Amino acid sequence: MSAVADDGSGRRGLSAGAFAPLLACLGLLVAWQIGAMLLATDSIPTALDALRAVPDVLLSRDGLINILDSIRRMVIGLAAAVVVSIPLGLVMGRARAVAAFFNPILMVIYPVPKAALMPIIMLWLGVGDLSKTLVIFLAVTLPIIYHSFEGAKAVEEKMIWSGAAMGMSRAQIMARIVLPAALPEILAGCRTGLVLALITMVTSEMIARKSGAGNILFNALDMGQYDTVFAMIIVVGALGIVLDAAFDRLRRFLVAWSETRQDIPLSFS
Amino acid sequence: MYHGLRKAGTRSKVEEASPGAAALAAPPMIAIEGVSQTFKTAGRKEHLAISNVDLEIADGAFVSILGPSGCGKSTLLYIVGGFVMPTAGSVKVRGRAVTGPGPDRGPVFQEFALFPWKTVLGNVTYGLRQQGVPRFEAEERGHKLLAMVGLKGFEAFYPKELSGGMKQRVAIARTLAYNPSVLLMDEPFGALDAHTRTRLQNDLLEIWERDRKTVLFVTHAVDEAVYLSDKVIVMSRSPGRIKQVIDIDLPRPRRRAELLLDPHYQKYVVDIERLIEDAPEDAVHT
Repeated sequence: MSAVADDGSGRRGLSAGAFAPLLACLGLLVAWQIGAMLLATDSIPTALDALRAVPDVLLSRDGLINILDSIRRMVIGLAAAVVVSIPLGLVMGRARAVAAFFNPILMVIYPVPKAALMPIIMLWLGVGDLSKTLVIFLAVTLPIIYHSFEGAKAVEEKMIWSGAAMGMSRAQIMARIVLPAALPEILAGCRTGLVLALITMVTSEMIARKSGAGNILFNALDMGQYDTVFAMIIVVGALGIVLDAAFDRLRRFLVAWSETRQDIPLSFS
Repeated sequence: MYHGLRKAGTRSKVEEASPGAAALAAPPMIAIEGVSQTFKTAGRKEHLAISNVDLEIADGAFVSILGPSGCGKSTLLYIVGGFVMPTAGSVKVRGRAVTGPGPDRGPVFQEFALFPWKTVLGNVTYGLRQQGVPRFEAEERGHKLLAMVGLKGFEAFYPKELSGGMKQRVAIARTLAYNPSVLLMDEPFGALDAHTRTRLQNDLLEIWERDRKTVLFVTHAVDEAVYLSDKVIVMSRSPGRIKQVIDIDLPRPRRRAELLLDPHYQKYVVDIERLIEDAPEDAVHT
């Protein structure tokens, strides 16, 4: 018997979980290749052509600087959103008055596509880093607030009482009971936030072109360099997969205590 | 030895306290004075959950509150814990008015309410670490308590890996860790199967007989209340009020097997069960 089979469902689930996404990516590339060959138009390069252009984008000094610019803005926007949203969401979840105050405001802001605010923000803050980072921040804030809010609301009353009986103050209860108890839900919000940050990152660069992955993409589009356009789409997609997988690793490490014993294969949501 | 059932309020305060002038001057461990609690129901009607409850509990006593569901017995316990504020009346613990939760009153809930992100040892030491006890000292005490509740070797487990009975053992150890003067137990064995429940009752008695903390124990199981308690408070429903206080005059240490055959024990159980059965007729009783 092989070690893998002996190890039981957990181990087998893991290898299947790693294999299936690879198969899906491969299938997508094959379909693309065949489709592009059949259509044979300039604006849709074959998968192989696009893949061949990926190193040009990644290894050129210009390409690398642009992509790193994008990632830097994304990370700063995301980090700022996390720092602001989690405490706000948690307090909203435990204090009815605070929730009653913020809920209507957030409800108005929620459906507005944040990238649509980009032109206005550019008027105030210019086309540089600040406005793009701010747009990313705005896009990511709401789902994290919402999930933190729901997580904090769901914390068992008696868990909080148990902490209070130990002599914890309100602030200590927030930090040492509500925060860890709501962490699985908070991290679900952060994961949504991560994907939204990536989307907003590209969109903001589409509107305010100066630097970044979106800048390269849309400049190439203007110049009819379709290989580069699709190579950039592949790069952004790959970045999404890698970041999501890395975040999921971190999430599992942080909330292993709450997980039931089943491995969910990589998800890209 | 057996005095039978006594009506609430017929006992004098002198009888309540142990003899001697010093003991007379000392306040009871818990004094509940004129406590009432009203809730607003969904239809905005006021529902009187607890009506004018007076109760004194002596230091070191094991007292059970018994009653049908909805009689406000848990609410009364939460009021003593300071988790719920009464609409009227007051609670004093060692002569000091209760204004909120505090480490002098340690709760144990039916739902366990363990911290799932902490190991068994982490749960037990959480309160001590909170109070600034150094890690080594807290863990030493944690190990001792876990051995006492029969969980030696489970220190590194997470709550999700434990059975219900083990979870409640952790919860008891977690509360004992910060050494409260009063244990507030809210149907602690209500969610456990019969066998586990019996074992936890026995172990709780053994622990209690060792350090004689004051225990306020809410339950709806008559046999459990009689087996464990010095005194059983029977409550009636809508509104919840004290119907009768019964002293359980059975010798300690109590051993379950002997007790079940004891006619005094049996009489207590039957009498109290009858008392609870005619609760509806007693709704107007004052």
